[in-house]
Amino acid sequence: MVCIRRATVDDLLAMQACNLMCLPENYQMKYYLYHILSWPQLLYVAEDYNGRIVGYVLAKMEEESNECHGHITSLAVLRTHRKLGLATKLMTAAQAAMEQVYEAEYVSLHVRRSNRAAFNLYTETLGYKINDVEAKYYADGEDAYDMRKHLKGKQNHHHGHSHHHHGGGCCSGDAKAVETTQPADAKAVSK
Amino acid sequence: MKMYKLAGEERFLLWAVCSIQLQVLCDKSGEKLLLLAEGLLKKHIASHSMHEPEALMVYISLLEQQSKYNDALEVLSGDLGSLLMIEVDKLRIQGRLLARANDYSAAVDVYKKILELSPDDWECFLHYLGCLLEDDSIWKYFDNIDQIQPTKHIECKFSHLTEEMFDSRISSASDLVLKLQMDTENSNLRGPYLAGLEIEKRKFLFGKKNENKLLESLLQYFHKFGHLACYASDVEAYLHVLSPDKKTEFVGMLVKNSDAFSESATKVLGQTTTILKVQELTGNIFELPIDEIEASAVKLAKLYCQNLSLSKDLDPQESMFGEELLSLISNMLVQLYWRTRNFCYLAEAIMVLELGLTIRGHVWQYKILLLHIYSYVGALPLAFERYKALDVKNILTETVSHHILRQMLESPMWVDLSNLLKDYLKFMDDHLRESADLTFLAYRHRNYSKVIEFVLFKQRLQHSNQYHAARVEASVLQLKQNADSIEEEERVLENLKSGVQLVELSNEIGSRTLRFNEDMETRPWWTPCPEKNYLLGPFEEISYCPKENEKKDREENMKLAIQRKSLLPRMIYLSIQCTSTALKESVETNGSKGDTKISGELECLLEEYTKMLGCSLSDAVEMITEISKGARTSESLGSSLVDWLNFAVFWNGWSLSSHEHWHVLNSLFERLILDRIRSMGSSDMSSCYSDVQVLVQIITEPLAWHSLIIQACTQSSLPSGKKKKKNHQHSDQLSSSPMSETIKDSIQSLCNTIQEVSNWILNQLDSPEDDQVDRFLSTLKRAEGAAGGPGQILGVLESVIASCEESEVGNRIFDALKSWNTADTARKTVMAQQRVFREFLQICESKRKQLETVKQQMSHV
Repeated sequence: MVCIRRATVDDLLAMQACNLMCLPENYQMKYYLYHILSWPQLLYVAEDYNGRIVGYVLAKMEEESNECHGHITSLAVLRTHRKLGLATKLMTAAQAAMEQVYEAEYVSLHVRRSNRAAFNLYTETLGYKINDVEAKYYADGEDAYDMRKHLKGKQNHHHGHSHHHHGGGCCSGDAKAVETTQPADAKAVSK
Repeated sequence: MKMYKLAGEERFLLWAVCSIQLQVLCDKSGEKLLLLAEGLLKKHIASHSMHEPEALMVYISLLEQQSKYNDALEVLSGDLGSLLMIEVDKLRIQGRLLARANDYSAAVDVYKKILELSPDDWECFLHYLGCLLEDDSIWKYFDNIDQIQPTKHIECKFSHLTEEMFDSRISSASDLVLKLQMDTENSNLRGPYLAGLEIEKRKFLFGKKNENKLLESLLQYFHKFGHLACYASDVEAYLHVLSPDKKTEFVGMLVKNSDAFSESATKVLGQTTTILKVQELTGNIFELPIDEIEASAVKLAKLYCQNLSLSKDLDPQESMFGEELLSLISNMLVQLYWRTRNFCYLAEAIMVLELGLTIRGHVWQYKILLLHIYSYVGALPLAFERYKALDVKNILTETVSHHILRQMLESPMWVDLSNLLKDYLKFMDDHLRESADLTFLAYRHRNYSKVIEFVLFKQRLQHSNQYHAARVEASVLQLKQNADSIEEEERVLENLKSGVQLVELSNEIGSRTLRFNEDMETRPWWTPCPEKNYLLGPFEEISYCPKENEKKDREENMKLAIQRKSLLPRMIYLSIQCTSTALKESVETNGSKGDTKISGELECLLEEYTKMLGCSLSDAVEMITEISKGARTSESLGSSLVDWLNFAVFWNGWSLSSHEHWHVLNSLFERLILDRIRSMGSSDMSSCYSDVQVLVQIITEPLAWHSLIIQACTQSSLPSGKKKKKNHQHSDQLSSSPMSETIKDSIQSLCNTIQEVSNWILNQLDSPEDDQVDRFLSTLKRAEGAAGGPGQILGVLESVIASCEESEVGNRIFDALKSWNTADTARKTVMAQQRVFREFLQICESKRKQLETVKQQMSHV
């Protein structure tokens, strides 16, 4: 009944309504837009049967050193729709897109130390491992686990289109220039 | 295009193509340009092929925009199709194109394939069913989505199918659904089971008499998923098609069947909550007798308490078990209040929700319900506090602020209102300003389809009804805040370009489609949209009433309201300008006609204004004259009473020399205000706040504008300033002229009327706070051994607070329960109500003092 599909810009209205019902979110509107306009393949929404958005995942690509990797920025599912496996589906969809569209090596995310439900989801269901602990990552002083999951490795999905390109890897060259649109408090949340 | 020619790069070409598409989409013209764009792309593909999935998407959408579905299909299945790397995405596009090309049988196969890959894809199932039944209504539905939460009701049409065709196709759908159910048996997916319900619904709508089968399927779905919080919203559309009798029967079936399943406490809790929600959805709850509702609420309160221990070890941000029960209880209490008009029920609802918030501070439903109850009882500062606790920001200001905005606009809490409007307008203006950069961002990342989406999204916000309304209201608020001084007001008007821009806005809006981005789903049942509040009217047995029907009316009314309001600043400006001419006329009785241009424009605006009130200028004048004489009651003005008074003020401003018009206006103010005061009598704020709201509006709008006109009249006659020198020669004549007497009479009349309002407020503020708190609390006290009535639920909750053990509920809940204090909550409510009164009193007093000063000035001339 729930359809996991790519987000459209219009979905932003309902996606933010999710925030009202899940956790207070500190991202500014332009941060969402920055994601959807830069990596539209990495934003998924869970749409319930009556067209209502009940969850979403917000992700992006990052290039540190030479390893191209994806990063999960935010994941939310309405309280009324938890324990239905939606978070897993959303994450799987975003991970698959990172791998298939952007050829990501691995995917990273941050999670609050105290957020046991989310931690269990990442480690047990989705196979993430703790990579590091970032002290006082969140605005309220709580530590974050820096978690990673290696993707299956590059497979050639290009079906012979060897000249297919994405501006030199996962992030086109000028993506960095606009990264300033990311607000300072961006890391204040993110599950 | 030039850049494409220079660099030959694909992205420059696509840039140009997108711009063409946008132009056609926004103007709905220039479709020939699409052909040009298609030609360009074709040529490019022939020479360079195509390299990016986004480029392919643009190409396909371009063909789609021209209804060339078969061409698009050909492209998709050709070499270029392999650019799309996610198989399901490709199939979805294919299905859509086939369906739109009316190649239903091929589309059915594609959708079937998707369902086998992802059996829980609901949208795909609907498309599958649509294609199977050759029904394209679903596409119209997807084309017209305009609300943040789209309508749940999708039209179905069958007329083109014979019964035989319908039967054979629906049975193949049933086969597929059965297979999907079997394949996913262990994965707990709701999709395939809901698909079964959908099939029964279609059969029912086709005319098969399978209502009982539908009920049975709904019950099965309840057995499987009834304990989940999403059950009620899942089945809403199916309940909707049932006849009232069947709805009641279904509720009965649920009640009977829920008891049989009691293996785990959480499941029982979930099912009980679901049944209550179904009762709300079907309207069944409005038909129950009062004592039954009471008993049911008590039962829920007990259930909530019994299950507190389940939430003992939960993280603070996790939902508690039974959280929704308190919202359901409060909905019942509000209904009981509506039916009995016994305020105690409302007081009890406040207590239940506040207690809920004490235990779990983040529950947004509690905050929203409280916000509306506090607004209703006139404790607006508290309502605003609860609103702020929702942490509404960014785009939520567009979708959520409807909860509080209207109440604030009709209140004397100008500072908070001003901040609310400022924050909202800042967000919208910033976004609209930054959108060019964001469009560019999408271009740079070569996400062409997002460019188009984003530009359309920007338009959606730009044409938001709330955005227009807020812009007008922000200007009007400034005028209200400065209305006590004509100099300040003239400065504000100067900044508003004498109101010209807003008049232009009013003209533009008339022909424009306004967008409604507000999320109304989160509102309580008794106020489904800001303009509606069932509690203000008598209780009728409302059966399930779909909110959607109201949308169309709402759009029309909102438009008119914004248009009317945006004429105000200009009319104020023109009326002030008219005063100098009018005085001249009154002195030089044989004088020239004065500045006819100004009064001509004002007359035009008055005509427009009355048109928006639904009548001609002469009819409008007749209406207010009759009301002022008592020949008609103020009820004939309906809910736009304040707008009518505004009209009367500017009508008088346009014809200042008529003694009779002044008189009509004076008695109009007197009559309408005193009527309200009389109807409120000595009742307290909790039961008459809607009357207070009207009074606040009368005093801060029409009466304020009228007193400005009076100030302008006297100012033009005073020997001060360069501009006024011309009038100097008349000033001593004015003091004894009939005009001056008229103005003095009007001032006296206004002062007396305002004094009445002040007296009424003072009377309300007179009783000590402690007494009011005691009175509030006494409503909740129950007589020893009383059988029914309000206060029972709070009794249940409080007895648990007194007796619960830390070991049982965990220290977090235990501490919260121990910190609860009923009297504190009562006191906060009373204090909030008093603050509204004090703010209002202050406004009244400063208006009265201002008028007294003018009177003195006049007698000193």
